[in-house]
Amino acid sequence: MSNSSSSSLSVSPMTAVQKMLARASGRHHVEPGEVVYPVPELVIIHDGFVETAYRELHALGYGSVVDPQKVVFVTDHEVAYGSQRAVERGRNIRAIARVWNVGALYDAGRGGHGHIFPIEAGLIRPGMFLFCYDMHCTNFGAAGALAMAAGTEVTSVLATGSLWTTVPHTLRIDLQGALADGAHPRDVGFLLAQGFADGRWGVQYDYRVVEFGGPGLASLDLAARVALCNSITEMGVANVLFDGDPPGIDASGAPDFRSDPGATYEARIPFDLSAVKPQVALPGGPDRAELLSRVAGQPIDHATIGACGSGMYEDFVAASRVLKGRKIADHVRMFVVPGTAATASRLADDGIAQIFVDAGAMLLPPGCGPCAGGMMAPLGPGEVSVATAATNHAGRFGAQDGEIYLASPVIVAASAVAGCLADPRELEPLVASGASQ
Amino acid sequence: MTSSLIRRGRAHVFGDGIPLDEGVMAFKYAIGRITDPAELIPHLFEPIDPGFAARVARGDLVVAGADFGCGKPHIQGFIAMAALGMGVVCGSMPYKAMRGAISKGLPVLIGGGDPASWVANGDEIEVNFGTGEARNLTRGTTVQLPPMAPVLQPIIAQGGANGQLAGWLNEHPSQRAAKGAPSVLGSGTPVRVMPRRVAQSV
Repeated sequence: MSNSSSSSLSVSPMTAVQKMLARASGRHHVEPGEVVYPVPELVIIHDGFVETAYRELHALGYGSVVDPQKVVFVTDHEVAYGSQRAVERGRNIRAIARVWNVGALYDAGRGGHGHIFPIEAGLIRPGMFLFCYDMHCTNFGAAGALAMAAGTEVTSVLATGSLWTTVPHTLRIDLQGALADGAHPRDVGFLLAQGFADGRWGVQYDYRVVEFGGPGLASLDLAARVALCNSITEMGVANVLFDGDPPGIDASGAPDFRSDPGATYEARIPFDLSAVKPQVALPGGPDRAELLSRVAGQPIDHATIGACGSGMYEDFVAASRVLKGRKIADHVRMFVVPGTAATASRLADDGIAQIFVDAGAMLLPPGCGPCAGGMMAPLGPGEVSVATAATNHAGRFGAQDGEIYLASPVIVAASAVAGCLADPRELEPLVASGASQ
Repeated sequence: MTSSLIRRGRAHVFGDGIPLDEGVMAFKYAIGRITDPAELIPHLFEPIDPGFAARVARGDLVVAGADFGCGKPHIQGFIAMAALGMGVVCGSMPYKAMRGAISKGLPVLIGGGDPASWVANGDEIEVNFGTGEARNLTRGTTVQLPPMAPVLQPIIAQGGANGQLAGWLNEHPSQRAAKGAPSVLGSGTPVRVMPRRVAQSV
């Protein structure tokens, strides 16, 4: 593959996604709408699909995959095996990892969430192109990388080393201001998803890259950017990218991963962060944004902090500030799911895990938690959850008629304490002894 | 499966916003993970056109308006259409649905505009998905539509993603499993040898 710079004067300006797909495809320039065959640096597949990929390729007569050292298996969907089938699946994944000689297997309890730990562990680098099985790989945009979700077609990537990919158009969100006290990047994500869905900006969002830039971007740390990526992914966008260096990640020496100044965007949308008020997404989808103040008081049974959009250290620190010295309501069961083994260790080391346990929450192993279809800590029929999950359509946490409200980690924590949807700023003050419920 | 990029048959014209679930096919076949074309074909377009399966013939074409195949990208309808050697011309289509169609070997032309501008239900038509030329044989007219991307055409010619993978394996015999090599799945024997982790080398 050639790796020539795309910023030479002879080439017209490109968006970040054009650049990264051009580079991965050995091209100087690609245009939106073109179909290319980009070659990934990594291929990440989670425990829910490894067996199927193997079964399909084995049935076609394949004994090996084309570039196994690039292939990474992660175990995040059913981590603490809850059934004999899960035990067998774990065994099969190990057997497949061995027979294909894949580059890495992050087995149960290792690594953590496959959309978080590769960032933390430095596997994901700015400017990198990779394919993943799961759509929530858009998280890697926060680290300056372009990860395209191949879905079940990841078998083609395994077999042939690439997959046809249409170069997407880009929508640019120009962020202004900064989030006010009580507002969170998840709230921004829900509002953007709602704006896309209701046609507020008159833009097509199907298979578009959403690129964040503008003066407000600098105020968003890595966890905030991951939350943004995650909250709009379920809308069907192609990817989420940022026009700036990823916070906390060394981008020096990285190949160009930012849009050219003269790049053509399909649309530009100004967005004022300072106007954002705390939101929830009503059951049914992340685009069903509603002011928290309008639904506060809705009783809950189940509360979860974690999953790919809100599983970073900063998310748990923010929630722990709400929970410190408080107890969750008697009728609520609360699950805390650190995104990674490293984060779980850090939370244990600095006493934050203690705050969760003292509040009455349960700590689950790093991974997806209930958001993987409720294989762990599910929701029951008629029950209501408030969660930082990736999405909240019917059945996401198990029961088809359970209801899930999506919210930021601080709102989930406050709601667990109150026993109903609640704003952390409106909890009873800690000085009122015995009033922690 | 038809390896050519030309489809000739009767046009089945639909409007805008035909969903995959409860439009192209009842959701129960998706949730039931039915993938056998013989089982799916009798139910093609059944939710919105119960007589479709009785009328359709091999090589027929679906001509639809905007947002054909919206909703969850379930592929049961595409499996049935591909097995019938059909083709789809539509105004627009969600990206994941388009991918699903092509991966099943169903040729798709997007950018067909309003079907009423060139075709009526039941017209005899011929569409060349490689060139974008669409002939209405009933009317004796021809329209030029945007062709399929050239790099996608071999996938259709090979019968979809699985055909493409079979073709790749023929060209890369070193990836072929040894004859009679058993599956490593489910033998019940614990697997204790771990591959290395890339994290240590990246």
